[in-house]
Amino acid sequence: MTALKDLLRESELSRPRLTLAILTGSAALGSAVGLAAVAAWLIARAAGMPSPADLALAAVVVRFFGIGRGLFRYLERLISHDVALRGVVALRARVFERLAAARADKVLGLRRGDTLARLGADVDAVGDAVVRGIVPLGVAVVVSGISIGINTWMDPRAGAILAVAMVIAGLGAAGLTWRSSRLAAEAAVTADARVAEAVVSSLDAAAEHKVWGTAGAAEDELREADARAEQALDRSAKPASFAVALQTLSAGIALIGCLWVAVTGANAGMYGPTTAAIIALLPLAAFEAVNAVPNAVTQLFRSRTAAERIVDIAPALPADYSPEPREATAASAARPFSQPSELTLDRLSAAWPQMKPTVPVTADVAPGSSLAIVGRSGVGKTTLLTTIAGALEPASGTVSVGGTPASREMVGTLVGMTAEDAHIFGTSVLENLRVARGDITETEAREALDLVGLGSWLSALPDGLDTVLGSGDSVSGGERRRLLLARAVLTAHPIVLIDEPAEHLDTAGRSALLAVLARLRSQGRTVVIVTHHMNLTESVDEVVSLDE
Amino acid sequence: MKPLDPRLAGRIGPARRYIVVTAILGLATAITIGFQALVLSRALAPVLAPSPLTEDGLGPLGAVVPTDVRTLSVALAWLAVIVAVRVVLTWTQERLAHRAGAQVISELREQVVAHASALGPRWIASGEGTAVATTVTRGLESLMPYFVRYLPQLLLSMTVTPVMLVVVLGLDWVSALIVIGTLPLVPIFMILIGLVTRERSAKHLEAMQKLAGRTLDLIAGLPTLRALGRERGPASRVRELGEAQRKATMGSLRIAFMSGMALELLTTLAVALVAVTLGFRLVDGDVSIETALAVLILAPEVYLPLRMVGTHFHASADGLAAADDAFTILERPIAHRGGDKPAPTLHDATLVVEDVSVATPDGRRLAPARLNMVARPGTVTALVGPNGDGKSTALAAVMGLLEPDSGFVAALTPEGRTDLIDVAVDGWSTQFAWSPQRPDLGPDGRTLSIGQRQRVALDRALSAERPVIILDEPTSHLHRAARDEVIERIVAAARDGATVIVATHEDELISQADSVVEVTAMEVAR
Repeated sequence: MTALKDLLRESELSRPRLTLAILTGSAALGSAVGLAAVAAWLIARAAGMPSPADLALAAVVVRFFGIGRGLFRYLERLISHDVALRGVVALRARVFERLAAARADKVLGLRRGDTLARLGADVDAVGDAVVRGIVPLGVAVVVSGISIGINTWMDPRAGAILAVAMVIAGLGAAGLTWRSSRLAAEAAVTADARVAEAVVSSLDAAAEHKVWGTAGAAEDELREADARAEQALDRSAKPASFAVALQTLSAGIALIGCLWVAVTGANAGMYGPTTAAIIALLPLAAFEAVNAVPNAVTQLFRSRTAAERIVDIAPALPADYSPEPREATAASAARPFSQPSELTLDRLSAAWPQMKPTVPVTADVAPGSSLAIVGRSGVGKTTLLTTIAGALEPASGTVSVGGTPASREMVGTLVGMTAEDAHIFGTSVLENLRVARGDITETEAREALDLVGLGSWLSALPDGLDTVLGSGDSVSGGERRRLLLARAVLTAHPIVLIDEPAEHLDTAGRSALLAVLARLRSQGRTVVIVTHHMNLTESVDEVVSLDE
Repeated sequence: MKPLDPRLAGRIGPARRYIVVTAILGLATAITIGFQALVLSRALAPVLAPSPLTEDGLGPLGAVVPTDVRTLSVALAWLAVIVAVRVVLTWTQERLAHRAGAQVISELREQVVAHASALGPRWIASGEGTAVATTVTRGLESLMPYFVRYLPQLLLSMTVTPVMLVVVLGLDWVSALIVIGTLPLVPIFMILIGLVTRERSAKHLEAMQKLAGRTLDLIAGLPTLRALGRERGPASRVRELGEAQRKATMGSLRIAFMSGMALELLTTLAVALVAVTLGFRLVDGDVSIETALAVLILAPEVYLPLRMVGTHFHASADGLAAADDAFTILERPIAHRGGDKPAPTLHDATLVVEDVSVATPDGRRLAPARLNMVARPGTVTALVGPNGDGKSTALAAVMGLLEPDSGFVAALTPEGRTDLIDVAVDGWSTQFAWSPQRPDLGPDGRTLSIGQRQRVALDRALSAERPVIILDEPTSHLHRAARDEVIERIVAAARDGATVIVATHEDELISQADSVVEVTAMEVAR
């Protein structure tokens, strides 16, 4: 639960707003309880055939409660959603900061898989803990308390019965539901993984199954995985079913108990018919709040799982974190490339965990010169580049800059890296280039685009540099590559790493890359590129191959 | 959107059974709730009545619950039985719901996967196809709350609400009239509010999605920012965007929650009206105390399922969207490929590829483009060329796994030429012994490393004694010694009479091939 607690704290939830949400929610469900109580009084009073004027006030109150429920519920939903959304906004910024400050290897590794896409949904799930977890639980406690209070005031025996039944219905159901969620989550780890594996196998290997006549076996595998998942789910659903049955039982016991108290109490002359009616009929309305407990607990469990995933990807901020941009203090345009930037690779081999290490590489790259790393796809070129950037520990050997071993702090300060799948943001062309450096002028931007051969592309854009680039189709593969190259030229890092895939590297792209290489070298920067285009290698000072 | 997708009941057996059983359980629940109300009113009436009750105050329904129930001990016994029955009913319903949900998900998943496999590798590799795995795993999970929470309430609103209405009518027609008068107002008001606010909520929704997209864009670009040392500025931008998104969302929620308010307001106000009317009619002596109590207890029960349907509406939207995704795939017709002629035996057949082009899924390139190749029995044919230019696709076309966008695949036998498009594809494909680039080999295969898996797959292909052997990069994950052995076996298989086609980068293997064919790709002019 600590992960969820931490994140809820970081989402700066406003206590007064949260309290208000619980109070309005309680007023909504309390209206239902009040309606039941006053209506019971009204009927009981009316049975004594008094003058109609004696009923007038009760009639007004009944109607008030009738309106109050819908009205307060509307307010509660608005307030609780507002609290949660404010929390999500704060948390999103917080998680962004946490991610930004996380270890470079973690952040750069995020590109792989759908981790980032999932992150957004997980942050929302933490917000749901407020609307669907905390507020309903708070309302359940308040409304149950009010109901128990009313009945205790009328007859302590009825209050006691209601209290016991509600505690069983609330806490018992909460415990059972929590257990059910935990069992389901545990089962999901193995059962769902098997199902996913069988699904992927059936789909990806559909052609293989067709040729070899093994489609039936694949179907059997999925059926078996499904059957196991069903069993696991069934086991985990058992406590949840008990929880709901327990709630029906508790409400029933409260009803029986309170009816007994009311009738015996009235017969003994302890109180009149109106009190008896309220005691007997109150349990019918009072359990609605408690009945929301299982869903609230399920939501809390779901939010907890999401919070754990978030903390796992984005650990807490270090104590010395400052939100100020780093590049302003490090590689600023005012001090162009003056830092020691000789790059030395000594029998360097790279690997992500559980990956085969790359062939050891030894090379010296002086400022103003360039190194090309070539090799077949999948051989680990990008991994090696990430290691040279200092983001990943070498699998063996060393990489050093000006004699000091490379470290994670180098990424983004001494070393600027343009990844193969670097992101084009859904903003203007200029802002996309300013990703390289915050103070790029329009002139600089135009010049860089000219250098990579995007001059005519730029003049064809409707709003020039201010044209907003959509994600997806609006930029072709070749244009995207060249845009990234322009961005690389505009960086101010003494060491520039460019991951250049062969795909989309048409003639224009190749000449853009050559121009960029020449520019970077003339600026006295140290350049490393990854490529599998052999005819590029004539334009660099040194080539190493990762092929065995 | 319809609350219940007819295709679920129509095509998924467990779903149909579940709906029927749940409806029956709902009816049983309705009956017990009715009994509970009548028993409660009988038991309380003697306490509330100013003078001893002499006649049956429940009218025709008095026959169901005898006047003995006015005695407390009898009433408590009746209630105990009713509560026990309700506990059993809820427990059964919950168990069934979870089980049915799991079964429906499994059944849908198996049908969708089988159908997608039949749609072929090309469709699977297309944009729509890549989403299938997500749809049938994470996507279908949202059917669970739909089956467990929403559907039972929907069925209860179709069983409990009318049954309660009939009971109330049997007790007191004036109250029944109030209920009947307000019930239709619920959907009418919800629809009216929906119509009035549609334009505004669409506008809000658009603004919200735009802002959410921009925040996600920043998060997605974080690795890029990090690699350039520019990651510390945008957190404040994330906050600004989020703040704007919150305002837009609250704007749309203020409208969206109105229909919920109308639902709650109408249903509770109707109950209040029934109560007040009963009170004044009791004073006038128009209605008996037992009837008044029973109606008072039953009135909220008439509306409860309707309210619960509203509460679980989100579960319904997500679940139905997931089901719709699944059925969209299931309803995609499987193109009938090939003809009716039996496939010729490919023993001693020369395979001919003429001008074959296949478009990539994004339609931007042809890979391969205008490929020509002749593969004779007893020879090794090597397909060479850069990655991504269509070697594997060409092999799939030869095996009949996908239909080229243009060009022909044919077999030349002593009987003459047979075109692949004229024959039954299954009989053709199964004459090939194929070792793909990333073989799957079923559950056992998945415990092996990619290198081991490839050797098992090669072994299977080379020892299957099928007339044509197709090997996709057979030496890519092998070390030197193993590589030489594989090349030797490939050549030997050809000498034994098989037609061998390999896609490879391996110089050694290329030099041993009897013919070498270069596969090239081409950009499609846009």
